[in-house]
Amino acid sequence: MIRNLRFSRELVLLGVLIAIMLVMAQLSPFFFTLGNLLDTSRYFVEIGLIALGMTLIIITAGIDLSVGAGLALVSVAVGFSFAAGLPLPLALVLGLLTGLGAGLFNGLFITRLDLHPLVVTLGTFALFRGLAYGLSDADAVSSYPAWFAYFGQAYLGPIPGQLILFVVAVIVAWIVLSRTSFGRYVYAIGSNEEAARFSGVPVWRVKLALYTGIGFLVALAAIIYTSRVSTARADSGLGLELDVIAAVVLGGASIYGGVGTVAGTVLGVLIIATLRNGLVLAGVPSTWQLFLLGILVISAVFLNEFFRKREE
Amino acid sequence: MSEARPPEVAEGRPALSESVRRWLMRPEAPALVFLVLLMVVFSLAADGFLRGPNIQTILTQVAVVGIIALAVNQVILCGEIDISTGSMLGLCAVTAGMAATAAGGLVLPLLAGVATGAIAGAVNGFLVTLGRIPAIIVTLGMLYALRGVILLITGGSFVTGIPADTRVLGIGTVLGLNTPVIVLFTLFVVMALVGGHSTWGRNVFAVGGNRRAARLAGLSVDRTRFLAFVLVGVFTGIASVIFLGRAGAVQTTAGTGIELQVIAAVVVGGTSIAGGRGSALAVLVGATLIGVILNGVLLLGVPSVWQDFVLGALILLAVSVDAVRRRMVGDEA
Repeated sequence: MIRNLRFSRELVLLGVLIAIMLVMAQLSPFFFTLGNLLDTSRYFVEIGLIALGMTLIIITAGIDLSVGAGLALVSVAVGFSFAAGLPLPLALVLGLLTGLGAGLFNGLFITRLDLHPLVVTLGTFALFRGLAYGLSDADAVSSYPAWFAYFGQAYLGPIPGQLILFVVAVIVAWIVLSRTSFGRYVYAIGSNEEAARFSGVPVWRVKLALYTGIGFLVALAAIIYTSRVSTARADSGLGLELDVIAAVVLGGASIYGGVGTVAGTVLGVLIIATLRNGLVLAGVPSTWQLFLLGILVISAVFLNEFFRKREE
Repeated sequence: MSEARPPEVAEGRPALSESVRRWLMRPEAPALVFLVLLMVVFSLAADGFLRGPNIQTILTQVAVVGIIALAVNQVILCGEIDISTGSMLGLCAVTAGMAATAAGGLVLPLLAGVATGAIAGAVNGFLVTLGRIPAIIVTLGMLYALRGVILLITGGSFVTGIPADTRVLGIGTVLGLNTPVIVLFTLFVVMALVGGHSTWGRNVFAVGGNRRAARLAGLSVDRTRFLAFVLVGVFTGIASVIFLGRAGAVQTTAGTGIELQVIAAVVVGGTSIAGGRGSALAVLVGATLIGVILNGVLLLGVPSVWQDFVLGALILLAVSVDAVRRRMVGDEA
């Protein structure tokens, strides 16, 4: 028990999170106000939703670099179909279908052609972003009916609406990963894909479901994002994949597959969101934030692999 | 290792078809066929496409991407990847530009750019080999970190006023040939020789083909990979001075998105993303193909906002062809 506690990455992360919060509280008196903490959640829910899907994908030793571009594509699909005269509810359905379609596209390429997800999603990283630019003609749509703001700006009491959606998504992801046979398949594929296949795990179907699933999460995030900033533009979600991957690997998932937890990812998301929010409040320019985030990702992966080797 | 396959042709078949068959098995063959077809189509569709000046324009436009891709090719042949080249190019252009405005001339800016690139490349290589961090994470992190460094150095302002004697590498001509094209072809010849005839060049194929076997055979896998990452930095440094010369100024966003074109050039040309299979010629063909397509769609009147889309579709097409071909040939490389 003691030994388990000592090596629990989640506890270490919790400690890191508390330490960062204390530092940020010193840097800015506004940080520890309930209003700020809840407002921060507006930003991290979009990253968090996608990070949940990415956790499962990274556990299978896969990756999806196209999530930022996918977010832009869905956002443009919603905004521009609405501007072209489609009723907004239908435009939202179209957005969800676009996200699902984009994820399915990735999944089919990866499974049918047995290609590495890295190459496929690097291709769709350009393809989706390019499609968003082409369809929007590098323009923006920013007038929506008042009720659309509900998705990204509503409050239930003091709690932002999307935070509740995120909590539900976390619970679902946790159940799927740790309480279903699908979750066991995900770990099995990541530990040894060949062995999993020979043991009767439907590797292709699991992978197809995962990449399509993250497409759906990207679509949800895109709708929340579009509503929150009430603008659909082709350059939204630029660099989002880095935030998401950073959160997941910070949470302890191994990029080599087979290792990772939902709880770890949630803590990873909170750490990154706290860091970003705190740095903004402390007046650190956004240029430094990019730099720090890049360094953070590299060092998180390094520490993960370093400690894993020592445990073995 | 592209040449390792034994001939499996029936007896008595004429020698000519055998050599054609072997040629078609070369990594760059599909791209080359595609390139020729496309040039025929474009020259029929758009008047003036196949003129000398237009071809030279295309090659000049792809020179920066092509030069970086020649080095990234070695990284991909090792079975690794480098997606940090966009920010690296921007950073090299900033230091080279600062050297140019301070001292002028061609030598000092070139040295500044190459040194910056070599350091950045060495950091990549160090983290991948000694740090044992996957290359995709290292170079993704560096893509952002280096962009941060650019903003820190420049404070967000442009580097302008590049003197004419520095810009000569980007906009000069020798005997009617644009200097970027000359540099591209020189480095292509160098890499073709290094890839086929140097110890390191052969080691790269061995490491990418079968890393375990390479290690057991006594090759220094880490040293081979490290040098490949440093080479990317050096070539990016050279390319940055061409970039600087052509643009005449450096914005903080300089080089953004170049990393995608670079990887597209490598894999579209026929170098396998799985490593171990490819050539310098593949890169040259791939870069030219991308230039021809982007130039062609522009001539056909397709708006430039679709550029990324065309690029993404091209990458996917190339890797699909590679996958299908691998399956048909039964080549696991």
